[in-house]
Amino acid sequence: MSQIFSSLQQFWQFTGFCNMTFQHLVMIVIGIVFITLAIKKEWEPLLLVPIGFGMIIGNIPMFPGLNIGVYEDGSVLNILYQGVRQGWYPPLIFLGIGAMTDFSALISQPRLILIGAAAQCGIFGAYLLALALGFAPNEAGAIGIIGGADGPTAIFLSSKLAPDLMGAIAVSAYSYMALVPVIQKPIMKLLTTKKERLIRMPAPRAVSQKEKIIFPIVGFLTTAFIVPSGLPLLGMLFFGNLLKESGVTRRLAETARGPLVDVITILIGLTVGCSTQADKFLSTSSIKIFCLGLLSFVIATTCGVLFVKFLNLFLKEGRKINPLIGNAGVSAVPDSARVSEMAGREADPGNHLLMHAMGPNVAGVIGSAVAAGILLGFLG
Amino acid sequence: MRKAILTYALILASVLSFNVAGQNVSDLIISEIMPATDSGIVDDYGRRNGWLEIYNKSQGTVNFAGCYLTDDRSDLKKCQISKTDSRTKIGPRQVSLFHASGDSNDGTFYIDFEIVRGMTVYLVSNDGRTIIDSLSVPATLPCGKSAARVANDIRQQNWEPVEGGLDPSPMAVNGQKGKTSGSEKLAHDDPYGLVLTVVSISVVFTALLVLWWLFALLGISLGGAGKDKKPTAKNGNGKMTPEVAAAIGMALDRELGGEVYAAIALAMHRYMNDTVHDKESYIITIRHNQSAWNNKEQGFRKYPR
Repeated sequence: MSQIFSSLQQFWQFTGFCNMTFQHLVMIVIGIVFITLAIKKEWEPLLLVPIGFGMIIGNIPMFPGLNIGVYEDGSVLNILYQGVRQGWYPPLIFLGIGAMTDFSALISQPRLILIGAAAQCGIFGAYLLALALGFAPNEAGAIGIIGGADGPTAIFLSSKLAPDLMGAIAVSAYSYMALVPVIQKPIMKLLTTKKERLIRMPAPRAVSQKEKIIFPIVGFLTTAFIVPSGLPLLGMLFFGNLLKESGVTRRLAETARGPLVDVITILIGLTVGCSTQADKFLSTSSIKIFCLGLLSFVIATTCGVLFVKFLNLFLKEGRKINPLIGNAGVSAVPDSARVSEMAGREADPGNHLLMHAMGPNVAGVIGSAVAAGILLGFLG
Repeated sequence: MRKAILTYALILASVLSFNVAGQNVSDLIISEIMPATDSGIVDDYGRRNGWLEIYNKSQGTVNFAGCYLTDDRSDLKKCQISKTDSRTKIGPRQVSLFHASGDSNDGTFYIDFEIVRGMTVYLVSNDGRTIIDSLSVPATLPCGKSAARVANDIRQQNWEPVEGGLDPSPMAVNGQKGKTSGSEKLAHDDPYGLVLTVVSISVVFTALLVLWWLFALLGISLGGAGKDKKPTAKNGNGKMTPEVAAAIGMALDRELGGEVYAAIALAMHRYMNDTVHDKESYIITIRHNQSAWNNKEQGFRKYPR
């Protein structure tokens, strides 16, 4: 009888109930909130559902040494997590993004590329603030990249510069990407006048197939020669786009933008979620990172909108750009372009800005990859 | 015939490029040589010999099994490195150390000659003919110093001998002691991050400005930019406009989800403007038009008649 009792007692020590702490509970609740937001509000469900569930998996209190945790060498989760840790997943995601992105909006109006550059100020604004808060330069660079509003880039850079902060940075980046409509819209309204919001932009010109094929090759050569450290991201992005546009690699393009990117999205979301174990995640650093992430989005949006207003000072009537597409310079594709569309229609129901906003939006993807390459070059 | 020549040329170029790009023994250099002294490191037998270091300057692991070390230009095969020892691999930017005991039977990392001032040591490829690298020990090398090279570029590809020798650093990469990482350097030189911020923003703008310029130029040269679209039956009658297209896209978005939103809106816009979306061969085809991009006949293999 006593043996049964001691066995049960031993079993009890293995259970999650025995090892539960308040921090575990907090993280599980956050995971459930993520899943709820994804399902109820449809905020980035493809990412928030895997991340949210990953948070729950990663925070099941357990007896250490069972070789099942994400941080235990050789466990299944640990093996899957290596794609994040070593930075394999982000370039593969970029391959898929390249294969699903139509750069026509950018090619037809190349001047909009600059908005994508201006919005990258969010990255460097957050970098300065992170330094002021006492983070080391490499950590500040990894935190700053949240402002690029690009999850894979944030994971890629933080895995190289500050692996210990990667969980908080990735969750912060994806959370704020999901909250793009909530964050950006008030700033856009605050910074623009009614008259500016009513600006109608000329329809973009048609883009030939030849231009679309040349774009990834020239785009890659240009950006990679300037910032070779961004090679994994830029190379995969433009390669994916070439697969899409070449017209002769249909199967490869479909795989890249379909099954491949879906598989990697599942793995990246789940393992990033798992990596947010309470003992590593709940810290003052994480709180600071979340605050800085929010500020970086605010700075990026502000800079994008203000830059368009600045450009308009030099543009003739009829060529002016609606500042409501300035927010789209961050690379949250296509969410930030959708925010431009919604804000534009609120001001003038007949004014559709989506096509115009897609230009800076995809430029933002290139811009954030370039910025990540620069930071890696200087801080790596 | 021309196709065949082109194919062979491509294959040949690929093969050659693989040879050039692959990590091999040509990436090895003799980075440091220390003549025999009364102080310094001892070998596995407790002796104080001279020693030399081989450095792998590539980014991949290099196996130097079967290569030769010699101090005699006329006898390049004087001392062969073991072909069977798995320790003959050097990781990227790492060193291997050889003791110059004068007898290679002492072990894998022992060589058949001793090191004295005024000599030159050669590293020879495993073909026994190709000298990969050589380093001389100056006759005037001060006591307690080693003949060494240090990298003079950020990529650590160019290694120059140090005048007057270097303090010996066995099993360590020369000139790396006390070096700081990029982050540490910036923490010291740019504590507020302003320099990095200005430089980085400038580079981002420059990269995207170049893209802007290139694509503006490309648009003009391909005749796309500046062409005014003529009103068509579709967009001229006031019913089918890009705005309507976007609205349809928005409606579809609600039904189908965010990913297809932009693509549908853009596709509809193209179609409404009569810019023939079928140029893009398969993404979203609103209307099936026969063209060079989707003509099955053109996809068939054509045999010579």
